[in-house]
Amino acid sequence: MENGIRVLLLTVALAALSGCATVSNWFHHRQDARDEREQAREDAKRAESPDDDSAPRVIDPTVERRKIRVPKIRSSNVELGLDFGALSIEDFDTNPVYGATAAYHVTEDFFFQGEYGRSKGGRTSFETLGGSIQLLTPSERYFTYYDLSLGYNFLPGEAFLGHGIALSSAFYVLGGIGAVDFAGDKKFTVNFGAGYRVLPCDWLAVHITVQDRVFQSDLLGVTKLTNNIEMRVGTTVFF
Amino acid sequence: MFVTAPYLELHTGAGRGYPVSNVVPRDESVLVLFRRTDWFKVRTRRGVEGWASQRDMLKTVLADGSPFTFDLGDRAGFTSHRFELGAFAGEWGGATLISAYGSFSFNSQLALEGTLGQYLGKYSDGVVGDIGLTHVLVPEWRISPFLMIGTGFVHIEPKATLGEPANRTEQTAYVGAGVRCYLTRRFFLRAEFKSHYIFTSRNQNGEADEWKMGFAFFF
Repeated sequence: MENGIRVLLLTVALAALSGCATVSNWFHHRQDARDEREQAREDAKRAESPDDDSAPRVIDPTVERRKIRVPKIRSSNVELGLDFGALSIEDFDTNPVYGATAAYHVTEDFFFQGEYGRSKGGRTSFETLGGSIQLLTPSERYFTYYDLSLGYNFLPGEAFLGHGIALSSAFYVLGGIGAVDFAGDKKFTVNFGAGYRVLPCDWLAVHITVQDRVFQSDLLGVTKLTNNIEMRVGTTVFF
Repeated sequence: MFVTAPYLELHTGAGRGYPVSNVVPRDESVLVLFRRTDWFKVRTRRGVEGWASQRDMLKTVLADGSPFTFDLGDRAGFTSHRFELGAFAGEWGGATLISAYGSFSFNSQLALEGTLGQYLGKYSDGVVGDIGLTHVLVPEWRISPFLMIGTGFVHIEPKATLGEPANRTEQTAYVGAGVRCYLTRRFFLRAEFKSHYIFTSRNQNGEADEWKMGFAFFF
């Protein structure tokens, strides 16, 4: 038993001793390092303040590095505008339409576009022939649509006005999905179309667009796909 | 910016199809006016204006000789960007859904997103909107999954021919998951599933599943 305790104590003592040795060595090393640092600092100070007997500098480098700050480059990818045109609502005549568009140009080729427009349906031939028959109430005749479309620019070029003026222009095709609110019902629509854009200056564009909105309608007794072709002229501003 | 390539081509419009109308020789400087997509409108010292492509502008340097750097809209931008916009088509509780979303990223993994959509169903139409957080698990992957959680609303307009014509608006909460896949330039595909819980004032709360897929871009 006694032997065991002794062995244990001896082990502890040995461990402590070797530990102390390491620690003292450690401190020794740290002291060395501190001395070296101080020495280096003194050397640097001496180098900075030259003694009187050192040679004078011939050229004092007074060149300052130019600091360039790049201002934020303004992006002009957003296009907002208003348009006006004619909308042919299948079975309900052709009527004036007015609307608004917002586009974001992602690359030189592709842009995303949101469209909103409103028109009012006329009388169907059935109503005209039937005399006093009214298929829809006046408020149900409003045709309101919105779309989310993807556009692709192609045939980029220039339009020439006389000798001196050249305006950049492009054709584009559009396709997307949306909804239409007509005859008291909302319908899912698929749209596709094409347009021509001319830029009189960098921030202004004039568009002519033809677009077809297709949706399923059962207004006249049979369920059918209706095509509602629209032609509109619009002006947009780039932001 | 100073031109370091043999020359810098200036086009008449912001696109590769527009003709080159001017060139700026090496070591001459240009002033960058603004940017549209991947094209820079620049003005030379002689006052000539034109459009320089992003690829050519990479070969210009600042007055101190350091390269001109800007947001390129490439795969690195897909991993880490500030804003996203996109449009979806899908299904909300069995009805056709059209929606659009916008997102603001705090870092490459965490983003705040808002979605607004319209569903068009057999028995009702309605508007759905929500706002929530999205966590992209591994943003550097080309096809990278993400998780979503948030809250929103649903505005239900039952079709008038049925017995319950009153419109109503209910609050919703959702959890969801999805995957985004980088296509090219600034575009990516995004497909997602959201499970909505609808808090109604009736005895039973409702549930609706939303599946959708769409195109989006970052900037």
